[in-house]
Amino acid sequence: MLNARTRSRIFQVAAGIAAVSPLLVLLFVAGVLFVDAWPAFKFQGFSFFTGITWNMGNMYASNPIVHNGVEGAPGATFGILPFIVGTLGSSVIAMLIAIPISLLSAFALVYKIPHRYARWISSAVELLAGIPSVVFGLWGMVVLAPIVANQIGPWLSHFGKVIPFLAGPVGSGFGLLTSGIVLAMMVIPIITATSRDLIAQVSKLPIEGAQALGMTTYESVRHITFPLVRRGVIGAIILGWGRALGETMAVLMVSGNATNYLPTNLYSPISTMASTVAALLDGALTDFSKLSIHALALIAVTLLIITMITNLLARLLVQLGRRDVGTEA
Amino acid sequence: MYGTINHVNHAIYIANQNHGGIRTLKNKFKKASLLTVSALIGASALGASVAMVPAFAKSRVAHRDTSVVKLQETGSTLLFPLFQLWVPAYKKVAPNVQITPSGTGSGTGIQQASDGTVQIGASDAYMSTAQLQTTPGILNIPLAISAQQVMYHIPGVSKKVHLKLTGNILAQIYTGKIRYWNDPQIVKLNKGVKLPHNAIVPIHRQDASGDTFLFTQFLTDTNANWSRTVQYGTSVSWPSVPGALGAQGNQGVVQTAVNTPNSVAYVGISWLDQGLQHGLGEALLQNKAGQFLLPNTTTIKSAASAMIGKTPKDERISLIYAPGKNSYPIINYEYAIVNQKQANVATANAVKKLLDWAISPSGGNKAVFMQKVHFLPLPASIQPLSKTQINKIHG
Amino acid sequence: MDTQAESTLTIQTLPSYEMRSYRRKVKSIAIWSISFAALTFVMFIILDILLSVISKGVPGLSYNLIATQTSGIAGGLQNAILGTLLLIALSALISAPLGILAGIYIALYAPKRFGAVIRFFSEVLAGIPSIVIGYFGYMVMVLQWGMGFSALAGGISLSIIILPYIVRTTDASFRQIPKSYLEGAIALGMTPLMAMRTVLLKLATPGILTGVLLAVSIALGETAPLIYTAGWSNFDPNLQLVKNPVAYLTYVVWTYLNEPYHSAHQLAYTAALLLVMIVLVLHVLVRMLQRGSSKHA
Repeated sequence: MLNARTRSRIFQVAAGIAAVSPLLVLLFVAGVLFVDAWPAFKFQGFSFFTGITWNMGNMYASNPIVHNGVEGAPGATFGILPFIVGTLGSSVIAMLIAIPISLLSAFALVYKIPHRYARWISSAVELLAGIPSVVFGLWGMVVLAPIVANQIGPWLSHFGKVIPFLAGPVGSGFGLLTSGIVLAMMVIPIITATSRDLIAQVSKLPIEGAQALGMTTYESVRHITFPLVRRGVIGAIILGWGRALGETMAVLMVSGNATNYLPTNLYSPISTMASTVAALLDGALTDFSKLSIHALALIAVTLLIITMITNLLARLLVQLGRRDVGTEA
Repeated sequence: MYGTINHVNHAIYIANQNHGGIRTLKNKFKKASLLTVSALIGASALGASVAMVPAFAKSRVAHRDTSVVKLQETGSTLLFPLFQLWVPAYKKVAPNVQITPSGTGSGTGIQQASDGTVQIGASDAYMSTAQLQTTPGILNIPLAISAQQVMYHIPGVSKKVHLKLTGNILAQIYTGKIRYWNDPQIVKLNKGVKLPHNAIVPIHRQDASGDTFLFTQFLTDTNANWSRTVQYGTSVSWPSVPGALGAQGNQGVVQTAVNTPNSVAYVGISWLDQGLQHGLGEALLQNKAGQFLLPNTTTIKSAASAMIGKTPKDERISLIYAPGKNSYPIINYEYAIVNQKQANVATANAVKKLLDWAISPSGGNKAVFMQKVHFLPLPASIQPLSKTQINKIHG
Repeated sequence: MDTQAESTLTIQTLPSYEMRSYRRKVKSIAIWSISFAALTFVMFIILDILLSVISKGVPGLSYNLIATQTSGIAGGLQNAILGTLLLIALSALISAPLGILAGIYIALYAPKRFGAVIRFFSEVLAGIPSIVIGYFGYMVMVLQWGMGFSALAGGISLSIIILPYIVRTTDASFRQIPKSYLEGAIALGMTPLMAMRTVLLKLATPGILTGVLLAVSIALGETAPLIYTAGWSNFDPNLQLVKNPVAYLTYVVWTYLNEPYHSAHQLAYTAALLLVMIVLVLHVLVRMLQRGSSKHA
């Protein structure tokens, strides 16, 4: 039987080893991705990010071509600008919808809804955060896409004369707008819940005081609460944005899977980086030169870097935001 | 699911809010809630294991009888409906073989059979010579003959009317040179059909697909520009046509075409009935002799008899754009992509037996199966070639 | 002319601060009204998603659903339900011990700088899109390591996704406990392990459990990392964890919705309903856990 001190030591060492696991996993995953992606970057260079043609090359040709020391199928060229635009476009639309709705909801929840109802509503919002993304995709396909094609789209296209990007044709309902709305529904609970938590931490005393002095409730919230939670709320927004950037399945189900062209209007079919990796993985593996799979890895790396930056920024801001309202030292 | 993060932090915050003031560490509420939770978790785990017991028991019992062999088939969504019909029938032939078919696209079939994650890959496209070199020992075994039709969804055009289309016109639609249904080239071929001035939405397969392979071969044979630029393959770089849609699998193509007015799509013949039922139109395609034909037993047979004589030993051959007045232009062998070397003898035998049954006129090639998917059975002259290849499979 | 004069007159006769205060009140009311509208909209969407899943999914509920396995585009979901449970169980078995230990270490033992570093990388790991993990799982575990499509490859992929959440929740649960508790216990002669077990663990348990439950509900809803690691099988999972594909519920939703068959659509809707129901149950459990531990605060 080991004595207590030794056991304590052993536990501590074991826990220490476990603590390194996230770091090791991260390094391993990132390492594999970078190694896989390197040949594609060597082959294509920076035009990878600016080209609009994704061509895995003629896989039925017998001789690979060599470019910059890397073998590829004849005709192979990889440009992911449409996927980047699809990813950014759909997530920006999502944020345009989600930010006002989430923030207004969060303030209403804290200041205007009686506590016992607010609890239920918050709970429902958090439930929305837990719903699997394929279920959002299902809703987007079955419920939303027809509405976009038949109601929302035709209505918005009336404004096409003022803003050409809103002009028709509206198309099938699968595309940029539908993807954006579905993503918005997925990030609303994130922004709402995080902001509500922050707002709820702000002391109510100065607000009540301000109201007693004649400020309207809106003014007191605008001038007292909002400055305190601003950083945290921006963090929450970026957190939601990170989620929208990396989402795969729901977008794959409603995006229309465009290839080789940039969206021409709000209803254009798109593809995102994440959905492209999911859709093309097996096909890319049939490339005898293996260059296509390297190119997919490079998409994954690009996505990884973008989401990493947004997430870290978001967490930093949320953390600082918590400090602003004094819940975390 | 970043959403839950806040949820988590919030939960923890609440869950731990109480420490400051508590003297007694064991408090009733916490205990009660912990008990409830662990009881519920325990119950669900128990439920799961109880539910799993019969499954395990079953497989163990089966193990004793004749060892159970699990086979995975994946790939071609054109062959998939046939496999769906085969699996229940084959259960009676070999009850100990559990087959999971899935329609994932021919590219996936080729890929996963090559890397050994599945035993049988299904593909409408034979593998390229370069692909064969990266995976030596891989076989392309024809199981039947199938075809592909072009379908469209044009509001106002009766489903009873079959539009006449040529490979040349389709190539121009898919490159964006022909943008509207009432383009003079289409109107000229279809006198008497009132075509609307609506933008055409071409639908293509997003996954790597044998149907793409067949369709792009047809376009390569019929349009000089296409044969120079896009060429053919299981996945090609689709020319930029704003509004064009990608879909996964033949099933996805049919669904998308049904949902999208003014669309045109290429669809494997095993999905013809589904397309027609959902109101899609079926095009008459121009063959090499200049005739406009629909795919049916006669026209597919005619094309097959013109082409199959040239089938080499490894059976990799294109049957596209056959000569002959009555030959439908897009037909092909449906391939099983199988590695000669299987994981073990039992698996190898199970695969061999299944494929033998599949190509047998009294087994999987029976008319009941073939008619439902509009395939033709493997011609008698090709049977021995496939048989020889199947015999190469070993453990 | 007349009205203009009149309105000028009114403005002049009204004391300016009252006018401003009136406008301010209207503005306040307007903004709160918009807020209510926003909140109502969110509730409406939640209801719409739930109701469409329920109304489309319920007709597919039957005993056969849990009693039979999927065959092609029809049949039941027994294989998918069991497969989902197996995948979740595996991922929890892998990530819970690792994550909880890691969380305890960085909350209690780690030097400040080191703890911050681990927390940082854990956050980075949490931010990786799940399809990237799917790519990794396929290329490395399924192909290179020869696991094939399997419960283990799927389970490990899921555990990579949920590990950071468990680390974070455990860490946070322990950090909420005042440092003085640990110090006090050690001053009384306990070893750090004993102090942790007897004093701190009990306080942190609800938080840790909440974290594990939420991690499970994340794992449950994932699709992208499983398509290329778990594969799909028409048969129930068994204890052979490698080279043996498993079924799972999210696959049914994603794939069968794409089939032009009514029976396939029905299965997809019903699978979605089951997923939502499980998420709901987990959600309620978490709520109970929070309620139970905060009632006396």
